Amino acid sequence: MSEALVAAEVAGTGVDPVPAASGARQFWRRLRAQRAALVAGALVALLVLVALAAPLLTALEGQDPTTYHPALVDSARGGVPIGSFGGIGGDHWLGVEPQTGRDLFARLVYGARVSLGVALAATVVQVVIGVTLGVAAALGNRWVDQLLSRFTDIIVAMPLMIMALALLAIVPSSFPRPVLVALVIGLIGWGNIAKIVRAQTLTLKELDYVAAARLSGWGTWRIARRELLPGLAAPVITYAALLAPSNITVEAALSFLGVGVKPPTPSWGQMLTAADVWYQAAPQYLLLPAGALFLTVLALTVLGDGVRTALDPRAASRLRIGTGRKREARA
Amino acid sequence: MRQPSLTARRVAAATVGLVLAAGAAACGPEDNDAKASGGDSTPHKGGTLTVLNANPTQDFDPARLYTSGGGNVPSLVFRTLTTRNRENGAAGTEVVPDLATDTGRPNKDATVWTYTLKKGLTYEDGTAITSADIKYGIERSFAPELSGGAPYLRDWLVGAADYQGPYKDKKGLSAIGTPDARTIVFHLNKPEGEFPYLATQTQFTPVPKAKDTGTKYEEHPVSSGPYKVVSNQNDGERIVLERNTHWSAATDAERKAYPDRIDVRSGLDSSVINQRLSTSQGADAAAVTTDTNLGPAELAKVSGDKELAARVGTGHFGYTNYIAFNPTVKPFDNPKVRQAISYAVDRSSVVNAAGGSALAEPATTFLPNQKSFGYEPYDLFPAGKAGNAAKARELLAQAGYRNGLTVTLTHSNAKDFETSPEIATAIQDALKKAGITVKLQGLEENDYSDKIHNVKTEPGFFLAHWGADWPSGGPFLAPIFDGRQIVKDGANFNTGLLDDKSVNAEIDAINKLTDLDAAAKRWGALDKKIGEQALTVPLFHPVYKRLYGKDIKNVVISDWTGVLDISQVAVK
Repeated sequence: MSEALVAAEVAGTGVDPVPAASGARQFWRRLRAQRAALVAGALVALLVLVALAAPLLTALEGQDPTTYHPALVDSARGGVPIGSFGGIGGDHWLGVEPQTGRDLFARLVYGARVSLGVALAATVVQVVIGVTLGVAAALGNRWVDQLLSRFTDIIVAMPLMIMALALLAIVPSSFPRPVLVALVIGLIGWGNIAKIVRAQTLTLKELDYVAAARLSGWGTWRIARRELLPGLAAPVITYAALLAPSNITVEAALSFLGVGVKPPTPSWGQMLTAADVWYQAAPQYLLLPAGALFLTVLALTVLGDGVRTALDPRAASRLRIGTGRKREARA
Repeated sequence: MRQPSLTARRVAAATVGLVLAAGAAACGPEDNDAKASGGDSTPHKGGTLTVLNANPTQDFDPARLYTSGGGNVPSLVFRTLTTRNRENGAAGTEVVPDLATDTGRPNKDATVWTYTLKKGLTYEDGTAITSADIKYGIERSFAPELSGGAPYLRDWLVGAADYQGPYKDKKGLSAIGTPDARTIVFHLNKPEGEFPYLATQTQFTPVPKAKDTGTKYEEHPVSSGPYKVVSNQNDGERIVLERNTHWSAATDAERKAYPDRIDVRSGLDSSVINQRLSTSQGADAAAVTTDTNLGPAELAKVSGDKELAARVGTGHFGYTNYIAFNPTVKPFDNPKVRQAISYAVDRSSVVNAAGGSALAEPATTFLPNQKSFGYEPYDLFPAGKAGNAAKARELLAQAGYRNGLTVTLTHSNAKDFETSPEIATAIQDALKKAGITVKLQGLEENDYSDKIHNVKTEPGFFLAHWGADWPSGGPFLAPIFDGRQIVKDGANFNTGLLDDKSVNAEIDAINKLTDLDAAAKRWGALDKKIGEQALTVPLFHPVYKRLYGKDIKNVVISDWTGVLDISQVAVK
């Protein structure tokens, strides 16, 4: 889906102003009615749990992500793991890494921390900046709007990867790397969300209840906080749900290019870089991080799609979701 | 030995790196040759040899090439006074005569070297090669516009330090005499027993003055070797060579020149080169590479396939990867700390990180494990296979770090399996067992190279590597450990900042020897003596594995270059 299309659809979701509070129960009903979204949600929850419990899980396995096991690889053959499927067994649940013999299960679950943590933190940064600037542009005078909108245009027009590469290259290596990567992705990727928020705010502020608030003498800040933000929740949540998986792939790509988190901290992107030359000699080494990345992005995307549908009454009714009609038809 | 000249040294370092990276594939000569050639192993003349390379041979001018032993492709076109012996293994580290009748006749203290040319030597156009042409070839390598060669000639020849080349200074170099058309005499400003090694470099190629076109000479250099340049596109990206009919095997004992035509294609991705050589289809069946090694993953695949495994050449090149200390940075000023790290290093995981036992041999000496370098086995701080953490802790306690120590290891982010993150993390893991917490500082390649070669920015603890311009202890040890070669405001290679009078004196004494075997023995002893100071922790010597096409015959890989020698290869 192109970003413009997503933006258009997302913006469309809020046109009829559903007061958020009254819509919450309906939202859950509509979300629960989508089986794919539920499965995806469960998977995301599981992944987050695995990431949080990484030290616990590896302790259970009796391994850690950085210890070398030279005896578990065949040194004479380039360091290919000894044993079938990359040395899978009771000690090493997913086998070991070629050349180093480091435990792949441990690296994979610790890698999940980096991948999910960085992606979610970056999403939060994007949402905060996007909402703030979007609302400010919509509520400010002509000059503020012009200035912020053009700035947003510039940010949207910038090639994300190249910007990120440049930024990551100039920051000294003493700066904590995962935080830096999250900040860089966050600082570059907020453009579209700001545009959506500005458009939505412009629509909302013409509505009667906002006008009423203004007439009763409320200040701009109070109006934004009490009257506008609840109306913005739906499109923002929807767009954020779609940003998270794309942020995961950006983090993986940056690590793949060698500017993400630094060794020995494992991340999926970094594992992919190290593994790409091994696709013939030790395929499981490549398949593990690739599979994990694929599942995570798929689950987050399906969940994001479910959230969007649940928040959009028209889409929900088109799909006959959460209306109870499906059950009636079956009966 | 190189004198401190910033640009020259940088170029030197860079090119040595390149030569190496590109470098090598030599041989476990014993184990693969016979098998490789198999059935009808007699080489025959004819056919086209394709060379698939990653890096192009740029500036194909004998004045500008930086080679070890005359290079591989260059050596097919450019003959030199002496050259490397085209034999497998250790025999290939010897210097042998090429254009000259012998490897040079020194005076008593090795400051004057005299050579006589063979009879009947001609260029590709049939004109005779004279000693004046060799003199002219050397002189033009001093021209600023033809830079690129090694700095030795400028350092060694009498009165050459400020010479600007024959275009500006018509008088020429008085340090080189040509009493007659077949004799050439070199006057050096200090004793250099290793001059015959220097005379293998392409700067000793004859260049006919009448045909010299300055910077354009590289497009059509006049051949003195078995092949001439037919075309050279995009500065070495594709070089096509054909037989030089005026070359005669009667005057050249070294080059076999079996193929009629040689097609060098460069700028290819290394994985593409290895893939093409392994499938070996069409023209690739008669193809070799002179600069692309098998990586660990590729080796794992190849070693599982008998047909492919038989087509792998193994090469050794005098090269050492090591940890360097800067003793002016705390806590590395304390020899006990340096020794503790020497004991704690786990060479088996380092070797695995470098590609496993087939691609790296554990090193406990700074000198490469080859006789020509004067290799004398020693292991002053025995770490065993997996590191001696207990001994390391004991030394740290004596040094006052009873509760462990936190240090920063600087490395490059190059993907070379030499100074790269893989090696650094292997060391980090091993030192953890000895209570040393290692923080990693990975730098981009240029930044890394600038930092470690500048005395003002040199880190205390970093990964380094070194290879010499020819297989001898002199160029291997002197730049790194000669106190007079410390460069305060330029590219410095003496990273341990060692300035020990007895070491300096021994280096001078060995340079006077013209008996290279005797010199080698003393280099070996000197290496051990320096090793006691624990200024470096030798990690491993690389081994090169190279695939070649299935029609390739007569594979010769010397320990000098570690590379399959194209002048010996046959495709029929």
